[in-house]
Amino acid sequence: MRNYWLLARHEYRKLVGKRSFLVGTLGFPLILMVVMAASIFISIRGDQTRPMGVVDHAGVINTAVAPQADGGNELLPLRPFPNETEARQALTDQEIQVFFVIPADYRRSLQIDAYYWQDTPGDSVFSDFNEYLRINLAQDFPANIRPRLIDGPDLIVRAADGSREFNGRNVFSFFIPFIAAFFFIFVVMSSSGYLLQVVTDEKENRTVEIMMTTVSPGQLIGGKALGLLAVSLTQVLIWVFTGIVAIVIGAAFIDVLRFISVPWSLLLVVVLFFIPAYAFIAGIMTAIGSATTELTQAQQIAGILNLLFLLPFFFAALFFANPNSPILLFLTFFPTSSFVTVLMRWGMSTVPLWQVALSWLILVSSALLSVWVAARIFHTGMLRYGQSLSLKEALTAVRTRS
Amino acid sequence: MSTVSVSSVRKNFGRVEAVKDVSFEVFPGEIFGLLGPNGAGKTTTIRMMLDIFEPDAGHIAVFDGRIDEAKKQRIGYMPEERGLYKDLQLEQTLVFLGALKGLEENEAKSRLEKWLKRLDLFDHRQKKIQELSKGMQQKAQLIATLLHEPDLIVVDEPFSGLDPVNTRLVKDIIEEQRQAGKTIIMSTHQMYQVEALCNRIVLINNGRTVLYGEVSQIKRDFSGNAIVLEGKGDFANIPGVLEARTQNGAWHLALNGGVNPQDVFRHLAQQEQLVIERFEIAEPSLDDIFVSVVQSGKAAEEAQHA
Repeated sequence: MRNYWLLARHEYRKLVGKRSFLVGTLGFPLILMVVMAASIFISIRGDQTRPMGVVDHAGVINTAVAPQADGGNELLPLRPFPNETEARQALTDQEIQVFFVIPADYRRSLQIDAYYWQDTPGDSVFSDFNEYLRINLAQDFPANIRPRLIDGPDLIVRAADGSREFNGRNVFSFFIPFIAAFFFIFVVMSSSGYLLQVVTDEKENRTVEIMMTTVSPGQLIGGKALGLLAVSLTQVLIWVFTGIVAIVIGAAFIDVLRFISVPWSLLLVVVLFFIPAYAFIAGIMTAIGSATTELTQAQQIAGILNLLFLLPFFFAALFFANPNSPILLFLTFFPTSSFVTVLMRWGMSTVPLWQVALSWLILVSSALLSVWVAARIFHTGMLRYGQSLSLKEALTAVRTRS
Repeated sequence: MSTVSVSSVRKNFGRVEAVKDVSFEVFPGEIFGLLGPNGAGKTTTIRMMLDIFEPDAGHIAVFDGRIDEAKKQRIGYMPEERGLYKDLQLEQTLVFLGALKGLEENEAKSRLEKWLKRLDLFDHRQKKIQELSKGMQQKAQLIATLLHEPDLIVVDEPFSGLDPVNTRLVKDIIEEQRQAGKTIIMSTHQMYQVEALCNRIVLINNGRTVLYGEVSQIKRDFSGNAIVLEGKGDFANIPGVLEARTQNGAWHLALNGGVNPQDVFRHLAQQEQLVIERFEIAEPSLDDIFVSVVQSGKAAEEAQHA
């Protein structure tokens, strides 16, 4: 156990201390912060006190019927003007920041024009005017229907067995499985990519023979794999933490972020599939690294295999159109794609339990086979300095013990 | 009781017979030479001994049994194909390797300081391995091999890349380890180092043990097979002579097995163009013995194929 820890810590420190890791890890939060700041700026920019104007040729707006202030955010006052000339003068005199012209045929055309100078009003200005318009349009309907019209539909879709629920207001939750799939496939692939690198490094540095007379091959690869997994998890945890902070801050300004909830059942699927998926790909990368002579050669082979792990993303549209299609069913059971496919189908549909169980069993079996094959190829290939293993030699290595 | 016992081991890689039949024993407090030409099977034998490969046949015992994880910590190995993590600092690398061999980090650091000072690497301890010269890296490898004070030390070509001063230093260290009761197996092509250091040797050729025993006894056994000559004329191409070379103005002749030095002398005496000023039956160097045995083996093999 001590050797696993020492090897894992060694790999972790080696990679985390590198400048490229710091740039790669901190780059994403920085970009996210910039994007979030830009979104908030767009949301709140502009004058938050100067009134809006309206020229209502359709007789839709009665400014006495004002919407309620939302969550402590005061709505901008709306000032009526009899015609565009007066409204334009008020805009020129900077009494108002924007005016809307509702044409006489508005109820048929549903078109409204907005006029403003160089500075585009913020989203909140248009949002406030929209509130005025909705509440005024709803005035013609009976009082019991009015709130429904103003708030809009509150659609909740539930699975027949009650296992899943989707709230129409919670649009972001809809995408969480996709985001989770992306993050976890990133962790799995970046960790295994690092593993490919350290295995070839071990070979290129000629350190493997010393290591093999010090620790067992299982400890060597297992310890390194754990350390590299910790590196990728550190990276993702920093990103997820930054994402949560960004969402918490952003929720104060952007409505849609307030409805995000934690999908616990999805987390369970992640926990179940994550380790075997990582072991599976780690085994493949170890075998490739052991069989080849240098990193570039190993990366070329790994690059082609990586496509098999990204297969579900090529069928992303199908997840929306038909999450239970035969192609996605196949990808659910295919070991390179099962993790991501199950995650993404989880977001779009209810995946039958037997499919999850069968997919997991196939993945676990594949992972065990992958690690076993990797151990055999590692034993033979790692001591072949400057020489790659041919496919025939690799197969011989798998059949016989070194 | 022997530290290492290798008995009739065999190892094939596909159709290639890397080791056919090798046997030897190594005891505590001796420096044992594992010799042989390139491709003879030395490295494969070492790898089997250290459990990197499993022999197809035969038996290997290290510390009186099969090698296991605990026994690995009692072994220091400096392989021929060696290196260290190039982009890591020297001190960090050696402490890490020491820790893997069972040392606590503080203990590893404390021992390392002494070794670094002794091998003149202390001022370079914060440098990355790739910034060190080849000789410095070689010394760092030796530290990695000895830091955990192993009972069995296996060194493959320990002097390669070293200048004469450092060669002397490494020789002294190996000798010190022997005096401390450690078992040392040394594989090298530098025969004069073997003569200077080793008590016993095994010579492997074509995957088989062809010579095994005490260096002094082996030299005595081969003493009739070497002649030192001084005189005028060309003493090359003499019948019954396996190899002839000149050194410091004298000819050193290695005789074929079964050839009597008297017969050679009689032949030379009959050659009018040659003047013999000195004819001496010499104790052969290990180098001569090595060449003689290896070339005899090659000749026998060619005869077998013909």
